[in-house]
Amino acid sequence: MGAVRIACEWLGICSGCEIAILDLHEGILPILEKVEFVHIPVLVDVKEIPEADVGIISGCIENEDNIEVAKEMREKCKIIVALGSCACFGGIPGLRNLYTREEVLEKAYVTTKSTVNPDRVFPRKDVLELQEYVKPLNQVIKVDYYIPGCPPPSDLIGSVLTALLEGKEPQLPTNTVCDECPLQKERKAIPEIRRWCVDGRPEPDKCILEQGFICLGPVTRAGCGAKCPSIGVPCRGCMGPTDRVIDQGAKMISALGSIWMLDEELEIPPEEYDKLAEQLYDPVGMLYRFTLPSSLIPRKIMKK
Amino acid sequence: MSSEQDFKPLVVAFCCNWCSYAGADLAGTSRIQYPPNVRIIRVMCSGRVDPQFILRAFEKGADGVLVAGCHPGDCHYLKGNLYARRRVILLKRLLETIGIEPERLRLEWISASEGGKLAEVIHSFVKELEKLGPNPLKEVVK
Repeated sequence: MGAVRIACEWLGICSGCEIAILDLHEGILPILEKVEFVHIPVLVDVKEIPEADVGIISGCIENEDNIEVAKEMREKCKIIVALGSCACFGGIPGLRNLYTREEVLEKAYVTTKSTVNPDRVFPRKDVLELQEYVKPLNQVIKVDYYIPGCPPPSDLIGSVLTALLEGKEPQLPTNTVCDECPLQKERKAIPEIRRWCVDGRPEPDKCILEQGFICLGPVTRAGCGAKCPSIGVPCRGCMGPTDRVIDQGAKMISALGSIWMLDEELEIPPEEYDKLAEQLYDPVGMLYRFTLPSSLIPRKIMKK
Repeated sequence: MSSEQDFKPLVVAFCCNWCSYAGADLAGTSRIQYPPNVRIIRVMCSGRVDPQFILRAFEKGADGVLVAGCHPGDCHYLKGNLYARRRVILLKRLLETIGIEPERLRLEWISASEGGKLAEVIHSFVKELEKLGPNPLKEVVK
C-alpha cells in the first residue's frame, strides 16, 4: 500500500490552523512515514489541487473563490476534514454576520483609524467578490470529520490523523471544558455578571464563572486541556458546542439562568429587568464569538 | 399571496404542567374563547424551557413565543420559574442584538385558576404580533 495522500487547503483564514499542523513537532514524524502531503499551501506554493485521499480544509467561506476551492477539494478528495473553528462553525470572521457587506467594506477601506481614504476608493478590479455573509464549510460542501479549535490543539489534530491512518473513526472528546478545568468550583450563585478585565480580574484557582465572569466552559467541547481557564482567562468557546448542544450561546444563557442573581429577586420590580440584562454586555460577542454562522440564528436580521 | 391584513401570527406557548397548562385546561372547560393562533406545548416546568427551544421555535417560523409558568413562589419545583425568568431576560437581550424584536418573546405567570388570564394574554399577544408583522427570520434563507 502506498502512502496516504493528504491535501491541505485554506479558505477565509489567518493561517493559524496550518501552523498548528506544523506544531505537531516530532509528533509529525510517525505520521509522515505513512502520508504524503501532496498539496499544502502553507509550505509549498502549488496552484493545482491534485487527487488525494484526505483533504484538510481550514477557514470559512467568505468569497466566491472559497466556494470554488471547497467544491474542487470535495471532488478530488475522498475524505474531507474541517480544520479549525472557522471551517467548523464560521469562527471569528463569522462575527461579520452582524453587519451588512457594505458596512464591512466601509469599515475596512474607509473608517478604520489607520486608513486614509478621503476619496472613498474601493478596490473593484481583480478583487474577489465578498459574500453577503460568512458561512461554515458544511453549508457549502459535505464535511466528513471536524477538528475544532482556534487553533486546534496539535495533539487533537495528531489523534484525528492517526485514527484516519489506522482506518478507525476519529473521535472528538464529548465532555466539556469544565470537566478538564482544574479550578475550584463551589457551586454558588453569582449576584451580577461582570466583564473580564473591565470589572476586575478573577481570583486565581477559583472557578471564573462563579466569580461572575462569563466563561463558556460549561457549553464548550473539551480537548484543549482548559488552557485558558487554568491561567485565569475565561473560556471563549473556540472548541464549539458539545454533541449535546445545538446552539452554544443559548445553552450558555440557560447555564447563566441557573446561577445568576440571588434569592431576593422575588422583590425585583419588572421594570428593572432590562437594566439587569444590561449586565450581559455584547451578548453575541460573548456567547457566539466562534459559532455565530452555525447557530440557530446565523446572522443579524437587518431592518429593511 | 398574503397581504398584511391576512397575516395570522403563529404563537408557540410553552406551558408548565402544574399551573399554566392546567390554566389552559380550565379555559377550555370554562369555554373561554381565545385566538386559534397558539400551539401549546406542555413542559413539566417553565424552568425546563431551554433557550435553545425558543430560538428553534423562531428559526422554524414562529412569530411569537410565550413562556408561561407558575407565579413566583408557587413553583412546584420551588425555583424553576425564577430560572425561566432569568433566561428570558437574558434571551431578550440577545434577540435585541441579533435583530429580532424582544417583544416576540413573552413570559407570563398563569396559575391553574387563571383560565381567563390565559385567554387574555393570548389575545393581547396576538394583537401585538399582528402589529409587529411576520417573524423576520422567515425570510432568511440559510
